[in-house]
Amino acid sequence: MNFSLYPPQEEEKIYIAGRAKTWHRSGLITEDQLRAIAEATRTELRQTNPFFRVLFYLFTCLCAGALVALFFWLIDRPGHKVMAMMLMGFGVIYYAAAEYITVKNRLYRHGIEEGLALMAMFLFCAGCNLFLDMRHQQSDILLSILFSVAALGIYLRFGHLYAASISVIALCVIPFQCSLSPVAERLLLLVILCCLFALGLIEDKRDREDFRKNQLAKIKAGLLVAIYLTVNLEILGMIGSFSGETRNAHLYPQLFPPLFYWLSYVCTFLIPAAAIYWGIKSRKRLLLNAGLVMACVTLATNKSYLGMTRYAWDPIILGVVLIGLSLLITRWLNAGPDQKRFGFTAREILKPEDNGLNPADIAAALTPGVVDAMKLQTAQDSFFQDGSSGGGGTSRNY
Amino acid sequence: MTLSNLIRKMQSEQKLGEEQAGLLLDLQKKRIFPIHRELRFFLYAGILLVVAGTGLTIKQYFDDLGDVAIISALTLCFVSAFAYCFIKGHPYDSEEVPSPHLFFDYLLFFGCTFFAMDIAYMEMRFSVLGDAWKSYLLLSAVLFFFLSYRFDNRLVLSMALSTLAAWFGFTLSEFQWFLFSEHYRLYAMAYGTLVFFGGFIFYRLEIKKHFFEIYLNFALHFLCIALITGVGKYLIFSIYFPALLAACAALAFYATRVSKFSYLLYAIIYGYIGVSIVVVDFLHRSTLFTLIYFILSSLLVIRGIYKMSRKFREEQ
Repeated sequence: MNFSLYPPQEEEKIYIAGRAKTWHRSGLITEDQLRAIAEATRTELRQTNPFFRVLFYLFTCLCAGALVALFFWLIDRPGHKVMAMMLMGFGVIYYAAAEYITVKNRLYRHGIEEGLALMAMFLFCAGCNLFLDMRHQQSDILLSILFSVAALGIYLRFGHLYAASISVIALCVIPFQCSLSPVAERLLLLVILCCLFALGLIEDKRDREDFRKNQLAKIKAGLLVAIYLTVNLEILGMIGSFSGETRNAHLYPQLFPPLFYWLSYVCTFLIPAAAIYWGIKSRKRLLLNAGLVMACVTLATNKSYLGMTRYAWDPIILGVVLIGLSLLITRWLNAGPDQKRFGFTAREILKPEDNGLNPADIAAALTPGVVDAMKLQTAQDSFFQDGSSGGGGTSRNY
Repeated sequence: MTLSNLIRKMQSEQKLGEEQAGLLLDLQKKRIFPIHRELRFFLYAGILLVVAGTGLTIKQYFDDLGDVAIISALTLCFVSAFAYCFIKGHPYDSEEVPSPHLFFDYLLFFGCTFFAMDIAYMEMRFSVLGDAWKSYLLLSAVLFFFLSYRFDNRLVLSMALSTLAAWFGFTLSEFQWFLFSEHYRLYAMAYGTLVFFGGFIFYRLEIKKHFFEIYLNFALHFLCIALITGVGKYLIFSIYFPALLAACAALAFYATRVSKFSYLLYAIIYGYIGVSIVVVDFLHRSTLFTLIYFILSSLLVIRGIYKMSRKFREEQ
C-alpha cells in the first residue's frame, strides 16, 4: 500500500536525474547526454537546491512558531486545557497546510512543507502531552508512542528520512520510561530495534524501485548502527569514566551481570563483521561504511571491555592500523587487472559535489587550534610540576 | 522506468556509446564498485588519530621522554614527510594539479601538523621567541601557504588560514562564547578583509583559482560574525550595520552570478540576523510587534527565495 503524496514513478525519475548529475560531474556523460536524461526524466514535481531548501525550512519554522506565539500572547494566559486544544488545533492546521501546499504546488523536498509538517507534529504532540498530563500517569510512554506514530505518518506521506529517524528514536525512548532494570532496558531496546531491522529486511526482499531501495538501505544502516550502540556497553561507559559515575549501570558497565557483559563483548565484534561481510557481498555502500566505522569503535572500546589500562599512544596504534590497511587495500586493488578486483576499485570514478568547504577542510582548519590548546595545557602542567610556581600569583620570574 | 532501462534505451537510440553505456550499467548494477571515498576517509581518520595520539603522548610523557627525543622524533617525521613530497610531487603549476597518489595529500598534511607540534613544543619549553612567541604562528602560516600552493593541497591551505587566524588572536584555547570584545571584532574584520583580498588577488592572477572558495568561506564567516556583533552592540548608528548589509548584498550577488547557492544561504541568514537585531530594538522589544515582524519578515523572505528559485529553474 502506498501512502505517499508522490507517485513512485515521479520519485524514480528524480532519483535517476540525481544519478545523472553525479555522472556528469564525474565526467562520465556529456552535457548533451545529461540534457537527454533530464528530458526523459522530466517530472511535474517542483524541486529546489539543498541551500534554498534549508532557507525555506528555517523561515517556515520561524513564521509558524511566531504565529503560534502571537496567538498565545493575544489570548493571554489560557488554561491548560485550552492551551492543549489550541496546540493540537495548530498542529492539525499546519499539517493540512503542508498537504495542501504540497499538492497544490507539487512541491518535492522544498523545505516549506517539511517545516510545516514537522511543526505540526511537535505542536500536536505537545498539545497531547498537556492533555495527557491531566489524565494519565504513563503519559511519557504514550507521548513517545504518539511521537513515533506521527513521525512515521510524516515519513510515509512525505518520505522524509529524518521523520523515520525521529519515529525510531521516539520508540527507543520507551524502554527507559518503564522503570525496568538496566539489563531489561537494553534487552527491550534491542528487541524493538531488531524487529524494525527484520521489517526492513522483509521490505527489501520485494522487487522495488531504485529510489525506495536506496531509502531502505539508509534506514537499515541506521538501524544496524542503533543496534550496535545498544549492544556496546562501553560507549556510554567511556562517558561515565570521565564523570566518575559508578552507580548507573549504563555509565558504569561493570555493574551489568557478567554473562550479559561478555555476550555484549562478543556481539561488538560480530555485528561489524556481519555488516562488513554483508556490505561487501551485496555491494551496499552504507552497510559497508557502517560496518567499518563500527569495527573502529569496537577496537577503540576493546581495552575498556577487558579492563586494560589505556595509554596516550593508543590512538596512534589505531591510526597506523587504519593507514596501513587503507594503503594495502589501495595497492592490492590497483595491482589487479584494469585496476580492479572482484568489481572493487580504488579509482575515483564518482566525484562528490564541491560546496566550498567540506568537513575534511574544517577538520584540517581546526588542527592547529587543537595543537595550540595542547601546548598551553602542557605548559601549565610543566609550570606546576617543577615547582616553579609559588601560587598566589607569583611566578618563576618573580 | 528504471535507470538501467533508460541507459539501454539511450544506447539503442545511439545517444550513449557502447563502452559508455557499459560503464554506466556496471556502476548502476554495482559490477564496478568504487571505494575511493572510503579509503580516503580511513586514511584521513588514521592521520588525525596519529596526530591526536602524538599530541596526547607528548602532553602526558614529555618529562619521561625528554626534550631531545621528542624534538628529534617530531623533526624527523615532518622532514621525512616534506622530503617525500618534494621528491615525489608533481612540478608546480598555477592550475589544479592532481595528487600523485591517494596518500600524498594526507602525508603533506601530516608533515605540517608535526611541524606545528614541533615548533610549538620548542617554544613552550625554551621560549625562543620570548614575548613575541606568537610569531611562530605567522612563521607556520607562511610555510603552510607555500606548501599548499606548491602541492595544490586544500587541507594545508585550510590549516594555513586557521593558523593565520590564530596569529590574529583567534585560538580555541582563548575562545569565549558570547564575549566578542572590540579589539577581537576589529581583528576579525581585518582578518576577513585580508583573507578575502588575498584570495581575490590570487584569483585575478589566475594562480590556483580553485582555492578562492576556501578563502571566501573563511573571510565571509569572520567578517559577517564580527559585523553582527558590532550591530548587536552599536545597533543602527554605526558603520557595522551598513557594512553588514553591503557584505551580504555583495555575497548574494556573487552567489547568484556563479550559481553557488551556499553563499546565498549565508548572505540571507547573516543579513536577516543583523536586520532583526536592529528592528527588534527599534520596536523597543515590544512582544506584539516583534512577533508580527518575525511573521511578516519570514513570509517576505520565503516569497523572495521562492521567486528566486523559480527564476533559476527557468534559466536552467
